[in-house]
Amino acid sequence: MALLEVRDVTKKFGELVACDRVSFTVEAGAIVGLIGPNGAGKTTLFNCVSGLFPASSGRIFFDGSEITGLPSYRIARMGAVRTFQVVRPLKDMTVYDNVMVGAFMHGAGGTQARETAGLCIEMCGLAAFADRPAGDLPIGVKKRLELARALATKPRLLMLDEVMAGLTSTEVKTALELIRTIRKSGVTLLIVEHIMEAIMPIADRVVVLDGGVKLAEGPPGEIIHDERVITAYLGEKFSRRMQARKEGGTDG
Amino acid sequence: MNPHALKRNDLLRLALVGLAALAPLVPAIAANSFFMHVLILILLYASMAQAWNIIGGYGGQTSFGHAVFFGIGAYGAGMAVVTYGMSPWPGALIGMLSAAVVAVLISYPCFKLSGHYFAIATFAIVEIFNRVFLVWYWVGGALGLDYPLVEEGLANLMWYDSKAGYFYCALTLFVLVFGIVRFLEGHRFGYYLRAVRAGQETAESLGVNSTAVKLAAMALSAALAALCGAFFVQYNLRVDPGMVMSLDMSMKFVLVTILGGAGTLAGPLLGAAVLVPLQEYTRALWGGLGGGVDLIIFGFLIVVIVVKQPAGITGIVRDIAKRLGRKSAAEKGGASLGAA
Repeated sequence: MALLEVRDVTKKFGELVACDRVSFTVEAGAIVGLIGPNGAGKTTLFNCVSGLFPASSGRIFFDGSEITGLPSYRIARMGAVRTFQVVRPLKDMTVYDNVMVGAFMHGAGGTQARETAGLCIEMCGLAAFADRPAGDLPIGVKKRLELARALATKPRLLMLDEVMAGLTSTEVKTALELIRTIRKSGVTLLIVEHIMEAIMPIADRVVVLDGGVKLAEGPPGEIIHDERVITAYLGEKFSRRMQARKEGGTDG
Repeated sequence: MNPHALKRNDLLRLALVGLAALAPLVPAIAANSFFMHVLILILLYASMAQAWNIIGGYGGQTSFGHAVFFGIGAYGAGMAVVTYGMSPWPGALIGMLSAAVVAVLISYPCFKLSGHYFAIATFAIVEIFNRVFLVWYWVGGALGLDYPLVEEGLANLMWYDSKAGYFYCALTLFVLVFGIVRFLEGHRFGYYLRAVRAGQETAESLGVNSTAVKLAAMALSAALAALCGAFFVQYNLRVDPGMVMSLDMSMKFVLVTILGGAGTLAGPLLGAAVLVPLQEYTRALWGGLGGGVDLIIFGFLIVVIVVKQPAGITGIVRDIAKRLGRKSAAEKGGASLGAA
């Protein structure tokens, strides 16, 4: 059974249809990428799934139970936790205390929460920043904080909204390593991403949105060659580059 | 794991222990003096401000309605003594519970609104309660409640000859309220409360039921404010609506905390330690000028604080500590360079 099932979800803002009858599933243990050009409705869909605002119509199931319209804190407590594209550090708290807020989800015990928070801070390379106020950190560190805080809740489904946007290529590599580690620990991931090179090598399956409509769905290798996707989003140039890299790879 | 916070907490704890150890000696030194009165008021105002600090400072929800909860506590104790001829204690307890219930009823609809609606709504509540209590015969109306002569002692929470009893009660109140807040700071509830202040949607995305957290904080804050009110009425031996349920009184909750530093444990004590002597001594010295001199000075202080250092006295202390720390670090750096 799929861990997350999105069934015909539509979200309207007045006359604007941001998401139009989008359906897809995320199998347990998988990494699913959600891609599309700017304004495709990726973040809107994310917000509906995580309960930030309700979908106009359609249904969403998590681990077999319906979560449509539930408040976000209840969805988070069920084990579906998200990060935000525009980072949202809890500014006047330290990095450590930020992660503690997430770590407290599974009980009020301070000792256990401190242990979890410590692990997540270590894992995301934040140890050097633990006592800094979360408000004044470089963007790369803020992104890692988003990740650490969500990880501290010990999610079953981790939904990442462009965690790699704005990072240097070295930082992206580190982030990809981290995502692989997270998956190995048994967490399912749904990743909204703009950087194609980042998502393609790690995703098992990719869902492409354009103008609020699901355009295509499949393994990254197939998506790259899908005509509709190429014209709508990737552009000829990118497609040729991926093709060249692939051929180069088989040659080598 | 968090050495910086540990150090800060240790300092605070040391200061509190020191204060608590010295405090019992105070009545012996200052028996019945005006100074004693000022000390009692400092402890009372610090407790009031700390009660407000729970929702207003840590929770970031500015309430101008705490005079209502304070008043409910005062009337609870007052009516127990005056109307029913009982000990004030059960009245204080009922007052605390009623204040918590009223707080939840007021806040629940307001917390659904964002921005300043909560502050505005609480503002209005004070006026409503003030008018209702002025015309409500059962609670004594505009005349208020005047205490009869009863036996002094802890059971009746009343002393005539010496202020020492009141001092110990105020000290107990202070330790209780500060102890509760100190405990909450390190507890999950404290983390959640600060998270809600810093970003409600973010907190919710991490599994925090922000409405429940804010309501619980509001209820606790109101109950403790009511307990302070009960002490206040026992100290004054009378109560009327203007004494307790006024915007003046509400502003004291807010301003003492902001002056000292909202959202910090030490802030309310620092604020009270500055405001109360200012208020009492200017009243004593320049009362003949027609009153209000203390408010003029206090208003000036608040303007300076808000412009110069919004984090209050706590922020000023932190700035100084930082500057000293930098200086000593620079000296150390210079020394090591010299050695090399």
